[in-house]
Amino acid sequence: MNVMGIIFASDVSLGNLTDKRTTASLPFGGRYRQVDFSLSNMTAAGIHHIGIISRRNYQSLVNHISSAEEWGLELGEGGLEFLTPFAMSVSDSYRGKLESLYTAMDFLEHGPDDEYVIMADSSILYNIDLTQVLASHIASGKDITVVTKDDIANGSKQLDLALKLNDKGEISDMAVDYMAPAGYLASMDLFVLSKKWLKEKVREFIARNLFHMDRNLVLGLWQKGEITINVYQFDGAALYNESVEEYFINSLSLITPQVRKSLFEGNHPVFTKVRDRVPSYYGENCEIHNTLAADGCKLEGSVESSILFRQVTICENAKVSNCVIMNEAVIGEGAELKCAILDKDVVVSPGAKLCGTLQNPIIVRRGERV
Amino acid sequence: MYFQKKRCIAMLLAGGQGSRLKVLTEKTAKPAVPFGGKYRIIDFPLSNCVNSGIDTVGILTQYQPLELNEYIGNGQPWGLNKTHSCAQVLPPYERHDKKSGWYKGTANAIYQNIDFIERYNPEYVVILSGDHIYKMDYAAMVAYHEKNHASCTIAVRTVPLKEASRFGILNTNPDNSIYEFEEKPKQPKSTNASMGIYVFNWDVLRKALIADEEDETSSNDFGKNIIPKLLSEGHKMMAYNFDGYWKDVGTIDSLWEANMDLLGKEPAFNLQGNEQDKIYARNNALPSSYIDANAKTVNCFIAEGSEIYGTVRHSIISIGCTVGEGALVEDSVVMPGVVIEPGAIVRNAILGEDSHVGRNAVVGGSFDATEKRKISVTSKGAVLETNTVLLPGDML
Repeated sequence: MNVMGIIFASDVSLGNLTDKRTTASLPFGGRYRQVDFSLSNMTAAGIHHIGIISRRNYQSLVNHISSAEEWGLELGEGGLEFLTPFAMSVSDSYRGKLESLYTAMDFLEHGPDDEYVIMADSSILYNIDLTQVLASHIASGKDITVVTKDDIANGSKQLDLALKLNDKGEISDMAVDYMAPAGYLASMDLFVLSKKWLKEKVREFIARNLFHMDRNLVLGLWQKGEITINVYQFDGAALYNESVEEYFINSLSLITPQVRKSLFEGNHPVFTKVRDRVPSYYGENCEIHNTLAADGCKLEGSVESSILFRQVTICENAKVSNCVIMNEAVIGEGAELKCAILDKDVVVSPGAKLCGTLQNPIIVRRGERV
Repeated sequence: MYFQKKRCIAMLLAGGQGSRLKVLTEKTAKPAVPFGGKYRIIDFPLSNCVNSGIDTVGILTQYQPLELNEYIGNGQPWGLNKTHSCAQVLPPYERHDKKSGWYKGTANAIYQNIDFIERYNPEYVVILSGDHIYKMDYAAMVAYHEKNHASCTIAVRTVPLKEASRFGILNTNPDNSIYEFEEKPKQPKSTNASMGIYVFNWDVLRKALIADEEDETSSNDFGKNIIPKLLSEGHKMMAYNFDGYWKDVGTIDSLWEANMDLLGKEPAFNLQGNEQDKIYARNNALPSSYIDANAKTVNCFIAEGSEIYGTVRHSIISIGCTVGEGALVEDSVVMPGVVIEPGAIVRNAILGEDSHVGRNAVVGGSFDATEKRKISVTSKGAVLETNTVLLPGDML
């Protein structure tokens, strides 16, 4: 396929959860990092030339991707490339996607002779057939394809880019950073465009000191009538993890079969780093209900409506409900957890109690002891 | 082409049919039979090799090799795909001198691949078989072999005296050197059973293989021919005692037992272990398992990508299985991709890969302590229709 992929690794901040990692390497769904979804979407479509642009804290991401063999990719030119600030011509972070693309111009210039570029984020998770998106883009003959979702706008969530279509399917309104009411389509921050056109526009906008992809390139050109836009509406599940609350609710939403099936059994499997953990062991007296559990867990206590990552230990008489518990956490005997997000390697002492709410989950930082 | 010299390489005998596993090996070679939820039997010797620092493994295949070849692939899951490492599948092939064709026996299989071994010019060759479940550090065994200046070292374990006549028994001197080997003796003199794991000096083995091939009366087997021959020639042969968990999973009963040995708070065989003795398997890119609000999971293993709506007790549920609402699975091994429909009852069974148990169907039965347990088995892809019964001990 003559398409290259670009994944933006650090777009939103989720407080303590992204203190020491990119949003791309934020664990999600028991066995995954958020970047696995974009990467798997691309490799399933036969895209094997992918750049990951990250601003900072990318050590955990590099560690996760490792040699990229789990996704069937090679590292280096023509395979997967890390586009870190130090690998590029500026050494600080970027003011917007256009600037980061400008600093990644070498990546766009060199490497295989790709005709199209697909750009994705790592905070919005979905399982999509990109070959269809590309076919729609080519058939439309438009400058850019914006992939959208129709059930995200609700009047209280701020959208990066929102669109409204009229009866003829033409764009009648567009806004950036807007709390769009229901009826607007939310951009999934997934774009298809020609490489040549993208390079031209990036150079042009940088020369004019404009850095923002949604605001300057899409909205700005649309207002002037200088861009033609193809809107591709995706009908599977798309999880927008753009705040801690959204991350928490979306994590728990995986328990619903519809969301789970769309994300994991949609178009293709989702690949992730292999850890070779043993199957999870469910003990003699455990009570596990309405829960997703990854491999390597030891479950002796009770767990209700929760997401358990790899190698989580729940000791006897511990009670866990509505929690997201990351790798290798140990929940001591008789401890009680409600509405909490436990980062990796957390130890909860026997008998300890932690109670958050669905709107305001308690976050325990990586490696902490409670 | 350049091949790095290796001090030690391993040859893994994976060509046997495993006919005692009956329907489970109708379409699959025994080493490719699923085990423990997400593994296949061959993962154990292969992972042991990697964990022992042996990075060159020849895998001798013959019976139903498709699935096995596919599974081994380029050796990537075990890290055997690097520049100077390999997991090389070695099927029988045709040769100009007609000294070829199907592998006639375990020794003949190695004989036919002398060229493969020679490329690495090894000091030692470890011979392994693909039908045992255990974790073992082969490096320690090779070090023992080297320290004793032996020509051949055989791993042994102590078996109960009454069972000793089922094994190859090694009779040893006080220094653990072997003076006699008896294949399945009626009146065993010791309880040191051979585990079928050998370390040879390559020059000694090479000569023995060539001589054995020329002997037309030989059945070209390590236990029957090579070992007794080397003993009679006065080579120094050592027994290497191993007392960890080890199980030959060559029969339906032993395969079931070995799976059950993984369960419990203090399991007879602890799969988890440390980073150094991890068992690697080819990955299937499956999501976490879902345990429904009405599910009941008691003393069981549940591997990735499964959905549990019913009750699971004292069982192994492998990757990608579904246990429907109101279904019961007890004392059973459920292999990858099995679907058990709502209301079905499965007890004391091994359900083969991708088999399907229809709604309200019944597989197997329960046994009290005084009865002999009879395991019911479904073959790969078998379908048990709705409302039908598969009796205890029956196969489908």
